Amino acid sequence: MGASDKPVAAAAQMTAHTPLVALLGNPNCGKTALFNRLTGARQKVANYAGVTIERKEGSFTSPGGHPFRLLDLPGAYSLSAHTPDEAITRDVVAGLRQGETPPDVVVCVVDATNLRLNLRLVLEIKRLGLPMVLALNMVDVAKKRGIVIDAERLSQELGMTVVETVAVQGGGEKTLLRALDDMWPMQHVQANPLSAIDAVPVEDTQREVRRILAAVSNDSHDKGNLSEKIDDVVLHPVLGPIILAVLMFLVFQAVFAWAQPPMDAIKNGVDGLGEMLKANMADGLLRSLLVEGIMGGAGSVLVFLPQILILFFFILILEDCGYLPRAAFLLDRLMGGVGLSGRAFIPLLSSFACAVPGIMAARTIQNPRDRLVTIMIAPLMTCSARLPIYALIIAAFIPEREVAGFMSLQGLVLFALYVAGIVSAMAVAYFFKRTLGANTQQPLMLELPSYHWPHLRNLALGLWERCKIFMSRVGTIILTLMVLLWALSSFPGAPEGATHPAIYYSVAGMLGRALEVIFAPIGFNWQISIALVPGLAAREVAVGALGTVYALSQTGEELASSLTPIIAHSWALPTALSLLAWYVFAPQCMSTLSVVRRETNSLRYPLLMAGYMFALAYVASFLTYRIALYFVGA
Amino acid sequence: MTHAAPLIKLDTLATGSRGTVVHVAPGDAAHGADLARRLMELGFVPGEKIRVLKRGMPGGEPLAIKVGNSTFALRRFEAALISIQPE
Repeated sequence: MGASDKPVAAAAQMTAHTPLVALLGNPNCGKTALFNRLTGARQKVANYAGVTIERKEGSFTSPGGHPFRLLDLPGAYSLSAHTPDEAITRDVVAGLRQGETPPDVVVCVVDATNLRLNLRLVLEIKRLGLPMVLALNMVDVAKKRGIVIDAERLSQELGMTVVETVAVQGGGEKTLLRALDDMWPMQHVQANPLSAIDAVPVEDTQREVRRILAAVSNDSHDKGNLSEKIDDVVLHPVLGPIILAVLMFLVFQAVFAWAQPPMDAIKNGVDGLGEMLKANMADGLLRSLLVEGIMGGAGSVLVFLPQILILFFFILILEDCGYLPRAAFLLDRLMGGVGLSGRAFIPLLSSFACAVPGIMAARTIQNPRDRLVTIMIAPLMTCSARLPIYALIIAAFIPEREVAGFMSLQGLVLFALYVAGIVSAMAVAYFFKRTLGANTQQPLMLELPSYHWPHLRNLALGLWERCKIFMSRVGTIILTLMVLLWALSSFPGAPEGATHPAIYYSVAGMLGRALEVIFAPIGFNWQISIALVPGLAAREVAVGALGTVYALSQTGEELASSLTPIIAHSWALPTALSLLAWYVFAPQCMSTLSVVRRETNSLRYPLLMAGYMFALAYVASFLTYRIALYFVGA
Repeated sequence: MTHAAPLIKLDTLATGSRGTVVHVAPGDAAHGADLARRLMELGFVPGEKIRVLKRGMPGGEPLAIKVGNSTFALRRFEAALISIQPE
């Protein structure tokens, strides 16, 4: 689109399109809560074209019967953008972003308890000359703290409509709706060039903020408040880390304990459906595709939905109440040692359930390099999909006996595998820190917002969003890959008079047998090599594949219990240990790689990830195998 | 400098102490020249009152600093860009 036809396009929009309202404000100003309040569940979450920054759009009809579109722009401290998020906000609001409609009205959301910080952005945006409304949000909290703001006077000083809103309260958005109705019909205004913002130095803007504040508010700054008292405990050098550790332990406990019943239910449901199809359909390709390819494949991923939801339940609560930045504060120094930011803590924590939500959560890291390193090491955290494999091998090879009187040897081995993942993740992060250049310290500049009670409605909407994202991924990419792997494992079929299980003769089987040449030095037999091929889709699929290879017909619990004696009998201990080491590192998860590709917008990083993880896995397995052989003997 | 209380860098201000921002130095090029500008946009503008709330462990880093009504966590090198008149 050339510059010359812009006025024409703008004129057309003026008459035809539904007015676009842009919500803009500092991070932590309650903007998203206000967005949820206005749009309810009528929102579309996608990415801005070409980048992985979340784009949230919704719609609503005002009491006056006017339709509006609402865009929730990423939080920004200033329009002189320092982060990719802020660049998006700047470009969209100034009408410079390709593929985005310039907004007709800018609703600037400010935290009424913190005008000193928030008003600076308002003054900046005002220079763009767009129609604006100021939403004085959280006025309830401000009133409780004894902060009085003369909204009328503020409106005069700023030259724009000022409304008081309480985003977390039903009806708290009414004033804003009324103000938008009053602006109808809207004339689209072309934004001033961005250089208008820089025309005034920051110092002068701040002076103006101080002047306005003195005129409209009794807000004397820096009184201690409740948040500070909480921080005395939460950020305490000794108590802080203890509280963090206890919280994390509880989250873990919940993810693994609470998720079990719904996971079993999903698993039984999918298995039951499979059994039903099996019973009611003639044996053949279609049945195999439905039962083993689709139900077995997608079902094995779907089963993680409860864990992901429980994990995000806690993350969203901790985020909503303001604890997460504190956790990042406490861990910043520790993680800074290996070149990570304290903010990397959440993505890495999430990755213990599943690397997919973990990598998605890395979006909260603003520095692109920090974010990339966090994404690259996330799959080294022991995700729950490794547990079935670990459990199988540990049960078969590690004797159930007590160590030092109270610890179980099996439990210790499992713990060691977790530690191995964490330690290697730190080592890889350190390596990336050294190689990706950037020896310089990265700025932190992390806001520690006031504590708030978490809000149920926002929590529910947040969880619903995660659920939708996960389900659509299961339904598209993951399902496709699963069907592909099913095809590889099923074709060509076994010849007449076959002595081996059918998978032996399939493409996957041929691949596996060819791979045995590569895997023999690390102690894998052809059965394991074959199982690793379908196991590429998702780690736990390898258990089922081993069952297929050893020609067992059971599934689930029964399979694991009947597989245990077989592998205990037919594998040597070094082979088993080698396979455990393999699973600590190997990138055996298509979903993770496809998410990395999506989040980094390039093929380079998923390939790099697969490459370095396979290399680590091979080296670790080789060493484990050889050392174990030396001690145990073949 | 014959001031009674000479200017100090924010990273050397004791935990719990107050001060007033006097000057924000531009960071070196490696951090991006606009580090100072961003600090000012966050509220570290000459004339604003600040207070050191907490320090992280180990190494007294990062620092939790109250400026106006907001609290920001800064790493030591960021805080060192800000000159303070202690109270």
